Amino acid sequence: MRPAQAAWLAGVLLAASAAAAPAPAPGPVLSAMEDELKRSRTLALPGLERPYFIEYTIDDVRSFAVSATGGGVVSVRRRRMRVPDIKVRVGDYRFDNTNYVGSGFPFGSRYDVGRFPLDDLYPVLRRFLWLGADSAYKSAVEALARKRAALKSVTAGERLDDFARAEPTVLLREIRPQALDEEGWIARARELSSLLARRAELKYSTIELEAVENVHHYVNTEGSRVRIPERMIFLRARALAQAADGMHLRDAATFHASDFDGLDPAALARAVAELSNHTAAMARAPVGKLYSGPVLFEGAAAAQLFAEVLGGNLAPTRRPVTEPRRPAAFPSSQLEGRQGARVLPEWMDVIDDPTQTEWRGRRLFGSFLVDREGVRPQPLVIVEKGVLKNFLLTRQPVRGWNGSNGRARLPGRFGHSTAAISNLFVRAAQTVPAAQLRKRMAEICETRGKPYGIVVRKMDFPSSASTEEVRRLLAGARSSGQPVSLPVLVYRVWPDGREELVRGLKFRGLNARSLKDILAAGDEEHVFDYLNNTARFALMGLGGYVAETSVVAPSVLIDDLELEPVEEEHPKLPLVAPPPS
Amino acid sequence: MHTGARTALLIGLAGLVYGQPAVLLDVMASELDRNFQVLKEKSDPPAYYLSYAITEQDYSIISASFGAVTAHDQGRSRTLDVSVRVGSPKLDNYHRVRGDRARFTSGAPLTVDDEPGAIRRRIWLDTDRAWRAATERLVKIRTGTQVRVAEEDESDDFSQEDPQVHLQDRQPAVFRASEWEPRLRDLSKRFDRYPGVLTADVTVVWQDETRYFTDSAGSRLRHGRGYARVVISARGKAADGMDLGTGATFEAADPARLPSQAELAKAVDRVAQDLEALLKAPVSDPYVGPAIFSGRAAGVFFHEIFGHRVEGHRQKDESEGQTFTRGVGTRVLPEFLSVTFDPTRRDAAGTDLNGWYLYDDEGVAARPVQVVEDGVLKTFLMSRSPVRGFDRSNGHGRRQPGYEVVARQSNLLVESSRTVPEKRLRELLIEEVKRQGKPYGLYFRDVTGGFTQTARGGVQAFKVLPVLVYRVYPDGRPDELVRGADIVGTPLASFGKILATSDRTEVFNGYCGAESGRVPVAAVAPALLVSEIEIEKRASAQDRPPLLPPPGGAR
Repeated sequence: MRPAQAAWLAGVLLAASAAAAPAPAPGPVLSAMEDELKRSRTLALPGLERPYFIEYTIDDVRSFAVSATGGGVVSVRRRRMRVPDIKVRVGDYRFDNTNYVGSGFPFGSRYDVGRFPLDDLYPVLRRFLWLGADSAYKSAVEALARKRAALKSVTAGERLDDFARAEPTVLLREIRPQALDEEGWIARARELSSLLARRAELKYSTIELEAVENVHHYVNTEGSRVRIPERMIFLRARALAQAADGMHLRDAATFHASDFDGLDPAALARAVAELSNHTAAMARAPVGKLYSGPVLFEGAAAAQLFAEVLGGNLAPTRRPVTEPRRPAAFPSSQLEGRQGARVLPEWMDVIDDPTQTEWRGRRLFGSFLVDREGVRPQPLVIVEKGVLKNFLLTRQPVRGWNGSNGRARLPGRFGHSTAAISNLFVRAAQTVPAAQLRKRMAEICETRGKPYGIVVRKMDFPSSASTEEVRRLLAGARSSGQPVSLPVLVYRVWPDGREELVRGLKFRGLNARSLKDILAAGDEEHVFDYLNNTARFALMGLGGYVAETSVVAPSVLIDDLELEPVEEEHPKLPLVAPPPS
Repeated sequence: MHTGARTALLIGLAGLVYGQPAVLLDVMASELDRNFQVLKEKSDPPAYYLSYAITEQDYSIISASFGAVTAHDQGRSRTLDVSVRVGSPKLDNYHRVRGDRARFTSGAPLTVDDEPGAIRRRIWLDTDRAWRAATERLVKIRTGTQVRVAEEDESDDFSQEDPQVHLQDRQPAVFRASEWEPRLRDLSKRFDRYPGVLTADVTVVWQDETRYFTDSAGSRLRHGRGYARVVISARGKAADGMDLGTGATFEAADPARLPSQAELAKAVDRVAQDLEALLKAPVSDPYVGPAIFSGRAAGVFFHEIFGHRVEGHRQKDESEGQTFTRGVGTRVLPEFLSVTFDPTRRDAAGTDLNGWYLYDDEGVAARPVQVVEDGVLKTFLMSRSPVRGFDRSNGHGRRQPGYEVVARQSNLLVESSRTVPEKRLRELLIEEVKRQGKPYGLYFRDVTGGFTQTARGGVQAFKVLPVLVYRVYPDGRPDELVRGADIVGTPLASFGKILATSDRTEVFNGYCGAESGRVPVAAVAPALLVSEIEIEKRASAQDRPPLLPPPGGAR
C-alpha cells in the first residue's frame, strides 16, 4: 500500500486472482474462521430456517494515539484489539432476516465475546467464533419471525430482494507491519502544541495524532477469503479563539497518510502555523452579512463541497420493514431516483475510483482492495456529461439496483453496510484560469449591483464542532432542509480585488441541487483527504469505523447561493484574564 | 477501517516521582489565587469559595480467557475538578433543588506532563466555565426560593471546615505487567477443564491514584494509594436457558499482597465448580422464611439497605425517601448491632479494605464515624453539605473524578454483641425453620452486589443479587444449591428481623455507583441470621444453550 509499491501491488492482485503464485499461509486467525464457518453452516433450530449465508470479520487492530496541548502531553494510548463482526442470514436471498427495524438487534442472550483473544491460539479463537455465531443465528431467526409477523399487518411497498449475490473474492496478502516512531510522535505532538499555544489570541488548542495498523480478515459461506493489511496515520490540530463580541471561532487542520512515513513534519509545522494565524484572524474579522449571489469555492473548499454535498448523497437508502403502528422516519439521499437526470453542468464528469492509488505523483488516501462485504470495487462513473449514471452500492438491493459495486465501506443499519465514496474525481472539460473565475464573479456582481462577491476557501467538513454545536446546528436548520457544514474561511471580494475575511456566516439552502448552477471551473485541481464516518458532517473523532477518502476537484463558481449570519447567543468573555503563558 | 477507538483508555509515560517539589500543587495554588481574587471582587453574585482537585491515575488492565490474553491496556491521566461557590454558605449555587442536581465540574483532562502553561490554561478555562454555570444556577435558585414555600430543612449549603495541609510522601507500588500475562494465561486456561463454562475471564487491574487538592481557605493536599484487584468470572447457560455466572475477586493496596498463583488457581477451580454445580441445581421457588447471610452477603445487605440511607445529602433532598431523616436518637437496628464507617481502617480479617483514604474529596480528614450505637442511630455520613442538626462534615464527601461530591460510604463495619460460633448460628437457623414450620431455610453464601432505590415515589425496596444460595433442611439432609433466587424486600422490615450474628467477620470489597460516580468501598460484617427473608424467581432468558457442541481439536 506504499506509494512506491503501487506496481508491486498490482502484481500481487494479478497473482492472487490468477491463483498462480503460492498463496501466503492463512495463519491461525483465518484458519479458525474458515474451520468454524464450515461448522456453523450446520446451525439449526427445530422447525426453523437454517442459515443460507454467514460471514465472519475480524479486524486485528493496533493503534497508537497521542494528544497534547500547550507543550504537554494529555494522553498517550496504545491499543491492541481484535474486533469481531459475525453476521448470519436465514431465509434466502429474496427474503431474509435483514431490512427490518429489528435486524441486527441481539435478541436473547449475548455471550461476552466482544474482545477476541489477542494471542494466536487457534482453539480459543474457534471457541469465541462458535459462541458469536450461535447468538447471531438465534437473533437472525428471531428477527425473521418478527419481520414476518410485522408484514402480516403492514403492506411493504415494492418487494425487493433482501440480499444481492456477489462473486466470491479470494485475496490473501502478506502482512508486514511497519514500525512507528512513537517517541518521535510524542515529541512532535508536544512541539506542535507548543507552537499553537504561543499565539496568545488562541483560547485553547490541541494536537491529536493517531496511527492505526489493521489486519482485516473476512470469510463467508460463498467462498470469500480475505486477509489484507490496512494502515493509516492522521494528525489533527484544533484551535479555538474568541472574538471581542464573545463569538467562538474554531478550526482544525488535518493530515492523513496511508503510510506511517507519509506525514511530512515540515509541512505539519507550516500548516499548524497557518491554522494559528487564520484562527486568530477570524476572531478579529467583522461579522458577515446576509448575502445572495455568486460564490467561488476555491481549492480545498470545492473538494470539501463535492465530498459533502455530492459524495454524501450517492448512497441510496432503503426503508426497512417497520413494526405496525410504530412509524419511523428514515433519511433519504437528495439524489435518490435521479439517475438519468442532470445534476452537474454537461461539461462535468465524476468518477469514483478506489483502484487508483496515485494522482499526479501524490498518494491517494481513499484506495482500497476489498470492501466490508468482501466485494472488489471497480472504477465507477457517477456522473457523465452532467448526468447522474450510478450510485454507490452494497449488497443491499435498493429500488432500481440489485448488485454491489463494492462500495460497502462503513457499518450500516438493519443488517447491512453503508456505501461511501473512495477516491472521487470531479472533472471539468471546460476550465478557466483562477483569475478568470474571479473576473467572472466580479462581472456578475457588477451586473446585479452587488458590492462584493464571496470566496470560500475552507469548509468545516469533516466538522471539528462539538456534538452540542452540531445539535444546535441541526435544530436551527430544521425548517430549511438538511444543513451543510459551516464555511470556515469566507472572504468578501471587492471590485478592486481586495479580500476581506468575515466570520459567523452559514449557507442557506445549499444542497445537491445547487451543483447544477455551477457556472465555471478552474484549471487547477485540488486533492482533499479525510476520514469519512456515519456521523453528521462526518464529525471528527466519532465512531470506531472510518472510511479513508480522497476527493480531487477543481475550484468552482456557483451562482445564486445564499449566506446568512449564524444567529446565536455568544458566551461572554472570561471574567478573569488569561494566565500568562 | 476499524480504528480501535471504541473505548478510550490512556497510557502511562513515566513513573511518579515523590519527595520532589510539588510543581502541580504550586501551579494549582497560584492559579487558584489569581482566579479567586477576581471572582470574589468582580463576580455578581460574588464567589466565596473556590477549590481545585486533580486526580492522577496510572493504571493497567490485563485480561485472559481460556489461556489467551484478550486485553492489555495501560494508561495515565489527570483529571481536574473545579468547584466554585457563589453567594454565601447560607445559600449558594449548590443548594439542593428538587429534581435538579447541581453539576458544575466536567472532569477536564489535564496534561500528564508537568507543563505549567498548559495546566494553568486548562484550569483558567474550566474555572470560567464552572463559574458561569454557578452564577446562572444561583440566580435561578434565588428567584425560585422567593416564591416557593419554606423548605423543610433550612440548614446551610456549605459547612465551615478547617483548612488542611498535608503532603504525603509515598512510593507507589510496582506492578509487573510482564509477569501477569503468563500468570493470567495459566489461570484462565484452567477453565478448559470445565465443559459447563461457556465464557470466562481472569483479569488483573492495577490503579495508582494521587489526589491533589487546593482551596481558597488555604488547604493544600497531596495523598494517594493503590488499588490492585484480581477478578475471576465464569458464565454458563443452564439447559432451560437461564444465564448463570459465578466469580471471585481479590483486592489489595499493593499488587505484591494479592494472593499467590496457587491460591488464585484454587479460586478459579472453585468458581468453575460452583458454576457447574449451579447449572445442574434446581430452580429456586418463591420463598418467605428464615435465612443466614454469610459475612460477605451480610456486608452487601448492610451497604444497600442501610448504608445508602444514612448518606447525609439524602436527608435534605425532598425527592428522597428519607427513611431515617427523623430517626436520629431512635432505634433503627437490633440493640446488639452497631455500625461504624471507618475510612482510616486499612484492613480487616487479613484483607486490605477498598474504602480507606486519608482525606475525602472536599479536603476533609478521614475519621471513623459511628452511625449506629447499640441499635440507635447517632448521625449521618456527612460531606460539607449540612443537614438539619449536623452542620459539619465527617470526612465522607466523595466522588469519582468528573462528578460533584455527595456523602458516600467508606468502610462499613458491622459490630455485634450477640455473636455465636458459625456452627451454632446454623443450629439456630434450623430451630427457626422448625419453629416457623418451614420445609427448609436458606443460606446465602455469596452475592454480586445489588442496588437500592432510595427515591421518594419509587418503591423503597432493595435488590441483592445472590449467586450461591443453598437450601438448609432441618432433617439433616445435605444442603442443596438452588439457582435463580433474587432477594426482595423493604428496608425497614428487614432490619427488625436480624436474630443473631456469627463471631467471624468477612470482607466484601467493591465499587459503589451513585450520584457522585463510582467510589471504592468495603463492607465488613459477621454472618447474620434473619427470621424472614423473601426471595423471588429471577426473570430468565428463554433461548437455549449453544446449538453446536464446542469446537474440538487443535490446528
